[in-house]
Amino acid sequence: MSFNRRTFLQIGSGALGLAITDATFTKFAFAEGAAGTLRVAIAKPAGNLDPQSHYAIWAIQDLMFEPLVRYGKGGQIEPCLATDWKIEEGGKTLHLTLRQGVTFQDGTVFDAASCKWNLERWLGLDQFSWMNCSKYFQSLEVIDEHQIAVHFKEPPLALMQELSYTRPPRFLSPKSVDANGKFVEPVGTGPWRQLGADDTQSVFERYDGYWGDKPTYQRLEAKVIPDPRARVAALRAGEIDLVGGFWIAPLTPVEAKQLEAAGLNVVIDPGNVTLVMAFNPDRTEALKDPQVRKAVSIGIDRAAISQALYQGFARPAGNLFSDALPFAGTQHDAPVRDVAAASALLEKAGWTGGPVRSKDGTPLTLEIVVSPDAVPGSRVVAEVIQSEMKEIGINLIVRSVDHASKHTDMLERKYDLGFFLTYGAPYDPFGTVVALCLSTFKNDVEGKLFTDPANLDPLINAATAATGDQIAPSIQKVYDWLRDNDAIAPLVYVPSIWAHSKRVQGFTSPVTEYDMPYENIVLAE
Amino acid sequence: MIHFISKRLRHSLVLLFMASLVCFTLVVSAPGNVAVLIAELRGAVATPGYVEKVAEEIGLHKPLLMRYAGWLGDAVRGDFGISYRTGQEVSADLPKRMLVTGTLIVGSAVVATLLGLALGFLGAFWPYRLPDRVSRGLALLGASTPTFFVGALMIYGFSVTFQLFPSFGFGGPESWVLPWVTVAVLPAAVLSRVVRVGLEEAMASPFVLTAKSKGLGRTAILFRDALPNIIPVFINALGTQVGLMTATAIIVEPLFAWQGVGDYFLQGVKFRDFMVVQACLLIFLAFFIVVNLIVDLAVLMTDPRVRRQWS
Repeated sequence: MSFNRRTFLQIGSGALGLAITDATFTKFAFAEGAAGTLRVAIAKPAGNLDPQSHYAIWAIQDLMFEPLVRYGKGGQIEPCLATDWKIEEGGKTLHLTLRQGVTFQDGTVFDAASCKWNLERWLGLDQFSWMNCSKYFQSLEVIDEHQIAVHFKEPPLALMQELSYTRPPRFLSPKSVDANGKFVEPVGTGPWRQLGADDTQSVFERYDGYWGDKPTYQRLEAKVIPDPRARVAALRAGEIDLVGGFWIAPLTPVEAKQLEAAGLNVVIDPGNVTLVMAFNPDRTEALKDPQVRKAVSIGIDRAAISQALYQGFARPAGNLFSDALPFAGTQHDAPVRDVAAASALLEKAGWTGGPVRSKDGTPLTLEIVVSPDAVPGSRVVAEVIQSEMKEIGINLIVRSVDHASKHTDMLERKYDLGFFLTYGAPYDPFGTVVALCLSTFKNDVEGKLFTDPANLDPLINAATAATGDQIAPSIQKVYDWLRDNDAIAPLVYVPSIWAHSKRVQGFTSPVTEYDMPYENIVLAE
Repeated sequence: MIHFISKRLRHSLVLLFMASLVCFTLVVSAPGNVAVLIAELRGAVATPGYVEKVAEEIGLHKPLLMRYAGWLGDAVRGDFGISYRTGQEVSADLPKRMLVTGTLIVGSAVVATLLGLALGFLGAFWPYRLPDRVSRGLALLGASTPTFFVGALMIYGFSVTFQLFPSFGFGGPESWVLPWVTVAVLPAAVLSRVVRVGLEEAMASPFVLTAKSKGLGRTAILFRDALPNIIPVFINALGTQVGLMTATAIIVEPLFAWQGVGDYFLQGVKFRDFMVVQACLLIFLAFFIVVNLIVDLAVLMTDPRVRRQWS
């Protein structure tokens, strides 16, 4: 047989035809997805799912492990594995009534014994002393098969909120550890049971023995897609159904706009995290003066930041916390940019001249430290603020650093201005107020937003010691002090952004950024 | 030949050692405290002193030389330590990741070779005519387009618009096509020019004139007489391109959600995961050295002039 050009072309076109046919048929397998399966993007592998370890994606742990109580909308504490609870002896005893008829996914019954076994895995350990309930833990008492009492040395602040956290308070089957008590496999009481996990995905099936409302679909696949552009493309190509969540697979506002334009469903929730600008008076004399801090604050156009960086999805902030959180305090409108007022304040403070103002021969130069790795989009925000500061006579230098350097600089207070994100639900308001504003609380990770041992600390201590009806007025005093002294400049409330395919119906944003929003979803097949 | 191989191996070992030392110095001299980063990754709020505990745990307090010596000693035994970020053994993660990156590089090398040869021959077969101009234009386009952009275009065209291939994942042959082509575009462009220029030079040689006078056709001369003459040059160029593919893998793997060594390296760099970064760099370097060794051996076998030099 001779091999001429015609034969070559025939073989070539045949091979091409076969390849296209194969690829076309393959398309149906990956692009449409198996019936009854929700495919969610995650930015990294789920990791070690032990509820008492620190490595996993919170939302994946949330699928399997349940808490005693859940954090509901607006900070409402709702029953979960505990149906009732009473705080007694001035907050030093927590009496819990456990839900009956609950079994772990391996058939083990959830009762007072398994509850005690779980609580003893973390309560009172030094590793978890950042939680008040662990720090003040004294003893555990099993009253009967479905009742348990936890005793504390001191009344723990925000006790029920802490018990709703994803880790460490969630419940693991006592049979899912080895003889040394080391975690072996993820078995909880939740609606999803893990079938398998590797670096590319985690696969779950519905646990039909679940005590609560079961999901309407059989299977959930969490696909690992580290690159944000790849996640957007995968959603557009129909290979995944759901993307979003700050800690799951974050979407930027620009990507959300692109997806919206491509006809996909984009869900924007106001969120419960605030982007705040911090002043460091310890480094720069000028920032010791509240008038200068106020001038900087009202010199910033929050609406422009919301529009430019967040595509209009973020609400300009006038408070440390939005009203989405409990005890968020009196809500004030965001300051409106007022160049004349800002300039007048600087004049009054003795900073005069131009184009860069000066006082006693010292120019008004400030340095803002940003890290887009730590606070997405912060460099752009800083550049916007830089141009706005120029208009009021402040020379703002933007120093962009990587994630690790940002932490070091913030801890060592090597900045004049910097950005902080509040912790959000379920940690706030007390998480942020204590960790970022109380001088005696050693925060070795983020540094401090603003501290004043003489004036602010007593207010925070009073707020954290308050109980019942006293909590709201006492924490309000903290907010008022921060506001009256222009100690911080809240910029915007960072929105929670999700996008999903048409296949997903009934989606609602999760209450916290640590939850997986699977609950209300119905798949249109 | 044994003398040649043993000399190359000795040089390679010295190179590996020096490169690992340089990498170590670069990683540890970067600003910022890695312990803070790890503490943040492990919990929403770090306990007082927890950062110190983390620093102790990962040995940040030890002198630099001790840290390096300890790591090198373990690495020689195949133990690359524990990842700061995931808490898992690096050497346990590496084999499956090497398989993924190996698939990417081998597949891309094959695609680049086929595309490079095809485009090069196209130009050489019809020199200075339309096919040659098209081939040159494509080579210019391929060589000047950034790889991440090629990848994004591939995904947009073949996954989002036509839905012919998956946009992410390492799931089977259909999921390999787009990453292979993405990585292969730049090397194919370079190789096509190597083939085209090499063939042009070979076709101007006296032995081609002899072949023509014997009545052989252009196709026969190109394949039978000119092609063997460009093989050593082609192998050299291919070797360099395959070595550079490790760098491309760092860009392409995350784009297609392939959990290979490139992706591992990138994650390691982001989180100052020294153990992961060092292990990946060592693999990249070893790969580069092995590829060069293979190239030298292939050239030795295909080029009689080099063979004579070492015999």
